[in-house]
Amino acid sequence: MPEIVIAVAGQPNSGKSTIFNMLTGLRQFAANYPGVTVEKRVGRLDYSGHKFTLVDLPGTYSMTSYSLEERLARDFLLNEKPDVILNVVDASNLERNLVLTFQLLEMRMPMVVALNMMDAAENAGIEIDVERLSKKLGVRAVPTVAKKGIGKPELCDALLKAYECRDEANDFRLDYGPQLNRSLEVLEEALAGDSRASGYDPRWLAVRLIAGDNEISRIFAD
Amino acid sequence: MNDAVRLDSLKPGDTCRLHDIKANDATAQRFMDLGLIPGVEIKVVRNAPLVDPVELLVKNNYVSIRHSEARRLEVIPLCRR
Repeated sequence: MPEIVIAVAGQPNSGKSTIFNMLTGLRQFAANYPGVTVEKRVGRLDYSGHKFTLVDLPGTYSMTSYSLEERLARDFLLNEKPDVILNVVDASNLERNLVLTFQLLEMRMPMVVALNMMDAAENAGIEIDVERLSKKLGVRAVPTVAKKGIGKPELCDALLKAYECRDEANDFRLDYGPQLNRSLEVLEEALAGDSRASGYDPRWLAVRLIAGDNEISRIFAD
Repeated sequence: MNDAVRLDSLKPGDTCRLHDIKANDATAQRFMDLGLIPGVEIKVVRNAPLVDPVELLVKNNYVSIRHSEARRLEVIPLCRR
């Protein structure tokens, strides 16, 4: 039985570590990212005959390459290619949290969204149509209240399903408006035959290049 | 737009609409990550005139930024007390 590697990604204070602890029961140990002293936490979980290895990524507001944490989190996803991304979002602060969600979706990897702190969202009078959100994002969204241990089996189930359906392409496409969409298409086509673009999603590369991402621009420097 | 002012000139309680971000770097990216996107309504919650930070209410979020950063946000005042 292969080990299923799950990367836990989310914005600071989304309850990422609480979700991590809920899933792994605090059976975690610390590891270091190679070359730097930012701690990476790794934990394990057995679920219906499957072995999950969870990697807790540093909390980041987005997935650009401006800060060390962002580069670490992004490089882990791009280079280590985990089987599934578990994106933890603060349900009471959905709009801001979805910024990161969109960037993760654009990397086109299997993903599950944990709508964490659902109790806080409800207390704030926020109603979330989970079904509709899942449909729009093209990935499963699971309501959780990690600090009370609510949503664990549903989350495990969604992670396993995402893993089993990992070969089904996520057709999520963010609409950047007619002008940018056109530019992205042109760039995507140009990248299609470029060997330096292999291993990356062409649309994601095009978006990052238009955004002026230094790390990605460097790949195509000459 | 000639009625645009810098965000750090507003007082606590003032509201404004973000017009432009006068930056194109990591700070600009972070502004946008925190919901500071042109067109968004901002309320100045607290403002320490000499020492940082400035606390803003953006949508449902409290965001604290430095004065030096607030200066880079061009805003249209909406309602001044």
